[in-house]
Amino acid sequence: MLSDWGAVLIFLVVGLGVGIGGVAVNLLLNPRRKFAQKYETYECGVDTIGPTWVQFKTSYFLYALLFVIFDVETIFLYPWAVQFQRLGLFAFIEMIIFISLLVIGLWYAWKEGALEWK
Amino acid sequence: MPVPVVDLSLLAPEIALAVLATAILILGLIVPKGSRFGLSWLAIVGLAGVLGITLAGWENQGTLYEGLFIVDQYAIFFKITFLVAAFLVALGSQRYIERIGDQSEYYSVLLFAALGMLVMASAGDFITLYLGLELMTIAFIILVCFNRTSARSLEAGIKYILLAGMSSAVLLYGLSLVYGLSGSVLIPEVAQAVARHPSPALILGMVMLVAGLGFKISAVPFHMWAPDIYEGAPTPITAFLAAGSKAASFAILLRIFVAALPGVWAYWTTLVAILAAVTIIVGNLVAIPQTNIKRLLAYSSIAQAGYILVGLVTAEATGVKAVMFYAFLYVFATVGAFTVASCFYSVTGSDEIKDYAGLSQRSPFMAAVMVVCMLSMAGIPPLAGFVGKFYLFATVVNDYLWLVFIGLVMSMVSVYYYLKVTLVMYRDEPVDNTPIKLSGPVAVTLLITMAATLLIGICPGPLSEAVNAAANTFFLH
Repeated sequence: MLSDWGAVLIFLVVGLGVGIGGVAVNLLLNPRRKFAQKYETYECGVDTIGPTWVQFKTSYFLYALLFVIFDVETIFLYPWAVQFQRLGLFAFIEMIIFISLLVIGLWYAWKEGALEWK
Repeated sequence: MPVPVVDLSLLAPEIALAVLATAILILGLIVPKGSRFGLSWLAIVGLAGVLGITLAGWENQGTLYEGLFIVDQYAIFFKITFLVAAFLVALGSQRYIERIGDQSEYYSVLLFAALGMLVMASAGDFITLYLGLELMTIAFIILVCFNRTSARSLEAGIKYILLAGMSSAVLLYGLSLVYGLSGSVLIPEVAQAVARHPSPALILGMVMLVAGLGFKISAVPFHMWAPDIYEGAPTPITAFLAAGSKAASFAILLRIFVAALPGVWAYWTTLVAILAAVTIIVGNLVAIPQTNIKRLLAYSSIAQAGYILVGLVTAEATGVKAVMFYAFLYVFATVGAFTVASCFYSVTGSDEIKDYAGLSQRSPFMAAVMVVCMLSMAGIPPLAGFVGKFYLFATVVNDYLWLVFIGLVMSMVSVYYYLKVTLVMYRDEPVDNTPIKLSGPVAVTLLITMAATLLIGICPGPLSEAVNAAANTFFLH
């Protein structure tokens, strides 16, 4: 029993060790040379021009969500279509129900104006 | 390929509820914005119908999809509990929701939350359990931040997303450990694996499972989210969150642990007994200094979760019975108290306890319902809560006398803060003397909650017998 718990302990120790070890080694080994660019937000990037607190349109997010509807639809439709002959009527009806549920979601999003770029 | 034979009559409540929720969403798209009030009636009548279907299927038991979906009287009893909670919340929140948002969205999401609970009650494996849990949680996230113009509601929504995400992550990690070691997601098979060889990692997985569900039942130490979210969410949703979401999580907790118990008995009972004791103590003590009624009720609901956990300590037929009994009556007390709070807020715009001064003069009925519900939660005879607590503590009186003692002392403490509210309502003079008028549906909701709380307390026999029968079916397989 004790050795069984030992496995859990090793698991924990190694798990923590990987995380903490990475940070610790960095702290010990990194060269510390401080100059102005070190204090920039994006040290390795391009200097920002103008105010950086820009708001992104939520429309991007809504489009991404709607994309998921079609994505999921395709994932399920494809294997079904390949095996269509074998699966028969039962699967056909199930697929109709599945697609109509997705269509309702799309309809809802459409009606609520998710597809309009405002 | 043969068509898989599925007895759809067993799934009737779920199918009916899913169709109802979808229909309300579709009708909301068709009906113009101004005239969607009727949809709330459709939801209420529909819920009553689904409740009827579920009641009619009381004798219709079975297992579907090779054990993934279990319909026994235990599951049906919990389904009835959730549907009653959803029905009362739907009936009591018409006016409240009319002011803050769209009826069709609200009611369809509310019904989807209830659907998630139904699926949880019947879950026979971890995937179905997770599916139901997430359906319920995601619906609740939308409902919690339903009041889009209120910063508090949005804050509560964000907090709920983060905490729900975290608890799901813990739960999933636990499930993956359990699956990895037992090689199955079916609850009975996992239970056998646990009984055969209770390896530490398997127990670790089970503990993570408890932790993940502990968030949902807001047991200490996983309770921190509850007061903030209960306060920020629209009050009817708080009621549904406190009553429905908790009962659903208890349903699944019981199913997992009664099945898996023989293998982990030694670890399990002490753990749950301590968890229950701490939850009762913290919930009741922190409730004392609260000045906001929703926060007070939130802490009291944490304490109530502790009481229900007592029934899980033994996890025998008596314990299961006590949990089911308490979960059922707890729905009425919670929904009653929160409906009074939501109605009071609609009129006065305040949730502060001091503003409840003189409520007995402004609306004797509301004050009476509040008192009955609170005293039931405190466990004062002849109200339902007394019988419920009696059943719960009777299960542990032989083995865990100290737990019974803590429960009794803390019940007395809870009487103090419940009576504090009562004093404010009955003794203090109102600042504003205008009577509060109740709309019809809200009055009916309050009447049902009060009548049920009184009736179950005075004559617990019929409910007790139903619970007995249901608990027995649970131990057959």
